[in-house]
Amino acid sequence: MKKNFLKHTKLIRILILIISFTSSTVLLAQDITVSGVVTSAVDNATLPGASVIVKGTTNGSQTDFDGNYTINNVASNATLVISYIGFIKQEVQVNGKTTINIVLEEDTQSLDEVVVIGYGSVKKSDLTGAVSSISAKDFEKQPITRIDQALQGRAAGVSVVQTSGAPGGGFKIRVRGSNSISGDNSPLYVVDGVVLSNISSINSSDIKSMEILKDASATAIYGSRGSNGVVLITTKRGKKGKAQIELTAVSGISNLIQELPLMSASQFAEGVNFAEGMDVYSASEIEDLRINGGENWQDRLIKTGYFTNTQLSVSGGNNDVDYFVSGSYLDRDGTVINQDYKRYTFRGNMNAVVSPKIKLSLNTSYSREETVGERADLFAALSRDPTTPAFDDNGDYVFATIKPGVGNASNNPLLAPENNVREFFDDRFNINGDVDFKIAKNLTFNILGGLNTLDRVRNRYTSIIISNNARASVENRKDVSLQNTNRLTYALEKEKHNLRVDLVHEQQQTQTDITIASGSGFFSDQTTFGNLALAPIQRTENNSFSQSIQSFLGRVNYSFSDRYLFTASLRADGSSKFIKDNRWGYFPSASVAWKVSNEDFFKDVSAISNLKLRFSYGQVGSQALEPLATIPVPIIGANVNYPFGGDGATVGVAAPNRLANPNLTWETTTQRNFAIDLGLWNSKVNLSVDFYHKKTDDLLVLKTLPAFVGPTSVFENVGEVENKGIDITLGATLFRNDDWNISSTFTLSSNKNEVLALDGENDFLELGFGGPTGTFPANPTAVQVGQPISSFRGFIFDGIWQLGEEAEAANFGRVPGQAKYRDISGPNGVPDGVISADDITIVGDGNPDFTFGWNFSASYKNFNLDFLLTGSQGNDIYNFTRMKMLALGSAQFHATHADYLDRWTVDNPSNSIPATRSGTETLSTQFLEDGSYISMKNITLSYDFDLANSKFFKSLNLRLSAENLFIITDYSGFDPESTASGSSSDYSADLDIGIDIDTYPISRTFSAGLQLTF
Amino acid sequence: MKKMNKYKMMTGLVFTLTFFLSSCVLDLEEDTSGVFSIGSLNTQSDIDAALAPAYRSMMEAYRESHRQRCITYGADDLTTWWGGNKEIFRIFDRFDYGNGESSSHPWLQYTWDQYWGTIYFANTVIDGLKSSTADENLVLAAEGEARFLRALAYFHLVRSWGNMPIIVDGVAPTGDEVRATVLENYQLIEQDLLFAEANLPAPQNVTAVGKVSLAGAKTLLADLYLTWGGWPVKDASKYAMAAQKSKDVIDMNYYSLLPFDELWKQENQNSLESIFAVQFSEAEDIRYIGPQNFHFHSAGGWSDAYPERQFFIDFPEGFRKDITFYSEIPQRVGGGGQVTETGETKPWPESQRNHPMYRKFNIAERKDLGNKLFSFRAVEVYRYAEVLLLYAEAQTRASGANAQAIEAFNQVKRRSMGLPYNVPDGSVDVATMTADEIVAEKGWELAGEYKRWFDLVRTEKVQEVTLRRDPTEEIALVRQPTEANYIAPIPQETINTSKIKQNPEGFKIQ
Repeated sequence: MKKNFLKHTKLIRILILIISFTSSTVLLAQDITVSGVVTSAVDNATLPGASVIVKGTTNGSQTDFDGNYTINNVASNATLVISYIGFIKQEVQVNGKTTINIVLEEDTQSLDEVVVIGYGSVKKSDLTGAVSSISAKDFEKQPITRIDQALQGRAAGVSVVQTSGAPGGGFKIRVRGSNSISGDNSPLYVVDGVVLSNISSINSSDIKSMEILKDASATAIYGSRGSNGVVLITTKRGKKGKAQIELTAVSGISNLIQELPLMSASQFAEGVNFAEGMDVYSASEIEDLRINGGENWQDRLIKTGYFTNTQLSVSGGNNDVDYFVSGSYLDRDGTVINQDYKRYTFRGNMNAVVSPKIKLSLNTSYSREETVGERADLFAALSRDPTTPAFDDNGDYVFATIKPGVGNASNNPLLAPENNVREFFDDRFNINGDVDFKIAKNLTFNILGGLNTLDRVRNRYTSIIISNNARASVENRKDVSLQNTNRLTYALEKEKHNLRVDLVHEQQQTQTDITIASGSGFFSDQTTFGNLALAPIQRTENNSFSQSIQSFLGRVNYSFSDRYLFTASLRADGSSKFIKDNRWGYFPSASVAWKVSNEDFFKDVSAISNLKLRFSYGQVGSQALEPLATIPVPIIGANVNYPFGGDGATVGVAAPNRLANPNLTWETTTQRNFAIDLGLWNSKVNLSVDFYHKKTDDLLVLKTLPAFVGPTSVFENVGEVENKGIDITLGATLFRNDDWNISSTFTLSSNKNEVLALDGENDFLELGFGGPTGTFPANPTAVQVGQPISSFRGFIFDGIWQLGEEAEAANFGRVPGQAKYRDISGPNGVPDGVISADDITIVGDGNPDFTFGWNFSASYKNFNLDFLLTGSQGNDIYNFTRMKMLALGSAQFHATHADYLDRWTVDNPSNSIPATRSGTETLSTQFLEDGSYISMKNITLSYDFDLANSKFFKSLNLRLSAENLFIITDYSGFDPESTASGSSSDYSADLDIGIDIDTYPISRTFSAGLQLTF
Repeated sequence: MKKMNKYKMMTGLVFTLTFFLSSCVLDLEEDTSGVFSIGSLNTQSDIDAALAPAYRSMMEAYRESHRQRCITYGADDLTTWWGGNKEIFRIFDRFDYGNGESSSHPWLQYTWDQYWGTIYFANTVIDGLKSSTADENLVLAAEGEARFLRALAYFHLVRSWGNMPIIVDGVAPTGDEVRATVLENYQLIEQDLLFAEANLPAPQNVTAVGKVSLAGAKTLLADLYLTWGGWPVKDASKYAMAAQKSKDVIDMNYYSLLPFDELWKQENQNSLESIFAVQFSEAEDIRYIGPQNFHFHSAGGWSDAYPERQFFIDFPEGFRKDITFYSEIPQRVGGGGQVTETGETKPWPESQRNHPMYRKFNIAERKDLGNKLFSFRAVEVYRYAEVLLLYAEAQTRASGANAQAIEAFNQVKRRSMGLPYNVPDGSVDVATMTADEIVAEKGWELAGEYKRWFDLVRTEKVQEVTLRRDPTEEIALVRQPTEANYIAPIPQETINTSKIKQNPEGFKIQ
């Protein structure tokens, strides 16, 4: 393969040489004047200031403001050399032509690309840490709207999983595994230098580039908040030149990828009779159901979803000022009924050169997200009685099941979404500006100030038809966050020495105020939450808290002879979350890199254009705590009030349910990273391999206390977690000529997570998602020494006791047809002939062995085909949706899943579906499945129209896309991805990865779009 | 020179900025302005605010009748649906436990957590009172309330799960505590109740109907002594003490019996028959869910709990039986935010669950609050009829049935037939009685009220009653019960997070 490739490139080169040689000799030498326009192939923008020189001479010119150039006295057989920073240098034969328009290709694989690294930027070739870089070019043709989508599958070591298919729903992003057990493992997001807590509201089209800092040397500069990696986002700026107006519009339709197999109504009725051992349904009723069908709750709740995304941007600038202004509107509804999401964004970025020594920059953005509609309870609906129709003959709701106590205990699942009201609004405003003073030749001082606000409204109403006690609540939250960063930079380039020193002081404070007003007992649905005064019972609660952090840091970058690179940094962080004595944490890091390919002895190795070795070591911290964790906070609220007189309640003040621990301090992650960067054949193929090892100490764990202690939990600094793994990125320009450009980037990430120690007394902690009340005998996941953080627990299901095994089954109190579980232990640590909690063991985990992404792009003339394939291998999923559909769990009485047709009977010695619910455990390997998958995340075909002759339009691009075109998996649920990262609504924790319970399935979307540039 | 000036200017600028910035450097203290700090309890309001969670936690245990009754399904006054999600009830109903099996069922833990919550909040109150500047009588009465609640929680815990670690005020538990003996638990409860008895107000003087009076303390003390006389400690000397404490309550001449049908009405909550009851509130929408636990699905409930057939057959015919049970099951549908009568009824053998159904808990039921039944009526923890029977049994066991004991017994029997309870009536009155007869009567009088199981255990009648069980009951026994079934498995979370040993291994009597 490699050899073939080499041959090809050689062949092409030879061809070009021959062509240029022959053409230059054929034409006569004669002086002419040549003029033309230089434009960028990326966006057809004119390039002002590009250099056009006649090869072998000093004769040349620079393009003017509109990209025009004119050169006199050019030999008609001369060659023009056109260059522009960031673009591939081009040579063009004049061949007697007097007008030569030149289109320059952007140099994406250029090693001299500048990479943002936090408090500054460096040349990519000078990086000493592990940094992944994604530019807008990688995703701009795909119909994505969110930053997390843009990150997915494109950076090694960065896992991005869509946890919900809900419109506006969540993604979970992890950089190199999970460090913290109880704490937030989300990376830190820094947008244009300002720390932001949420990125879902950012329009991905406003993004110029994203850098993901992965190793300690890169993240230590963010100190206490860097332990989960850092995502640096840079938004677009205006370019010098005429104003450019860009309009993009995309529309699409979405459908569920796969529905779950349900029994028909008559099959369900037979199942009920079987389970109850009596004729709940008579033979004639079943016959009637067989003929007339029944209800299909899945079809009632699933629908086709639609979305449109429209955006407009205007950008431009001159030598002193540039600007970029954009607005967008996204409207998306769900594939489950009654779900609607709208997003409005606005951004205005401006840069100004105030004087030669002072530069100013101002970024503002505003977004509004509207999530409307109460979601239908899919979990309950899928396991509901199909013999009861949704509506009666008059078109009225049928509330309860016709046969009381069949199916499950849920209401008609259409009631809540169709009658309740739910409106969530999030308004975010961000403004930040910075001033850059050039104090002296090598010294720069930069002050940055930022203000972020979040206004959150959560309005809910439960209507009378659901409960005669109709309830409404109105919740308002306001977050105001202020940041100030002051940076002094000294930079020196002298002969072979290249030095840069940064000193930074930074502080940030966030104040949160929450007010919740609620009412219950409305006599009318008319005003819903609009007028709480109509409720006879009203309640108000409020809550305020703040968090602040203050930091000092220093960093030195030094390189010698462009071969030996060295970076060291130290950051001191003080956090308000800890008491004074434990407040400050110190986080050092150091890294070295050796550009082997720049050594003299390497000059002759022509195939290898770049070879660099990197090593880094550093410590970063995490303050993975909620505010007020170190002081006792009493419980106040309706749940601790008591109606002493049987009427109005006395306000209660209860002792804290969380034990205060004043000794809490920083979690510390120590990370080592060793890497090789390899560029072959003039960087046509680039390979990066990073090996890393992370160890996190003093983990902040919310430990469950035995009930008799009183408080039910305590935060402690206990234990150690290790993550080790490998990140591989392989990028290649596979083929490139005038018509063709084929490139591919493959990323592979493998991470192994292991709990090394806990509190010393226990090698096991009761933590994690407990599931719906009354469903599981233990939390489905546990934290156990020697296992990954989120390990699944359960009984080992060994099939079903069969006829002939009566005697053995009787030892366990079972009969044939009942589930068989493995007796692995007892109170004394040995099998005791009893199936009890002692037989619950670790049965799997939701962490994949490895994940990968393959981004492929091929263009031929004006056509472009792009796809992104992502995959995950070796992750388990606990399928509790299937469990419930097989009649297990709280408030579930009978099976609805088609697998129940294969239940054990005397005539059908099934080994997978027990005959009785009695004796079947909810938590067993019966419901554990392999969740590995390969997904065609996105495939886009686009066409660029040539509008060079149009007066109004610069370019037009049309595109067709499919998201989640296919998923290859053995998983039996809706899809393996939306369940692969936990069911809890809290995307920060990783205690319950891979649980399928009431998940919102992701969907397949087809879309068409256009982009028009004026 | 010019250069120098410029340099100076820049330096000046940097210094000014540094000064400016350092003056707006953040301090790193947390904002605690909204955090209420619990200090000493100096006023009646402070005290009530601190007592409220302790009462609330006890109420929460009683509010979810099905979970609270979970471990008592071995008694004959309760059985459950053979289908649905009632497995944990069936496990107890069929004695499928005893070696720690099923310890991890979440329904088991709910009541356990509430009792320990009561103890925690009661201890906090007692600690807060130590530095109180309030009037001494106020402080003593408040401590009496807290210690009564702590005693009640311990009493439920030790009878349900066996010997418990001793967690009292003044010491912050670490989680490393181990189990004391049953006897030590009893002694702790006794101390608390003796204190409460000495310091609580008389029933007519309580500040609110939901607050415990000294009658509550005496009744619980009588129940403790009666239990102390039986399994497992079997100290017969305690029977006389039980008789004395219950006699004290009778001699207060404050309490009376209501007609049995009247007793359960909403308007008769906290009546003169009620000695201590946990409170609910319509004004605050705090609901009791018992009405849905005790009714079949076809009657607006969850089919959680209904009487075993033999218990119903043994139950003496008469007024009390008609009020206690439905033998004609009303047919209802739930939906649209309410429960609606169809007007139809079905005789119990043909009903949805083939059993009679409890009625008394549903006399105050509300059908208009949701798709299932609720009520706001206070739930009796102790009522006067029980005091009469406590006295009758304790006296009989201590030194033989005397006239007063027989009268107490007869009062309950008369009322059960719909007769005036304090007018002797030859048609029901007995002249002699045995302890067994009193226990049986108590089973009927307090059927389903979270009493019967504990009576059967303390009198070691579980086996005897189980042998009489109708063999056609849908829940088939897996074994005849033994002593190993007298206490329930300790919830697994506590086993996993502490040094407590699971039953029966950790069970120590003396």
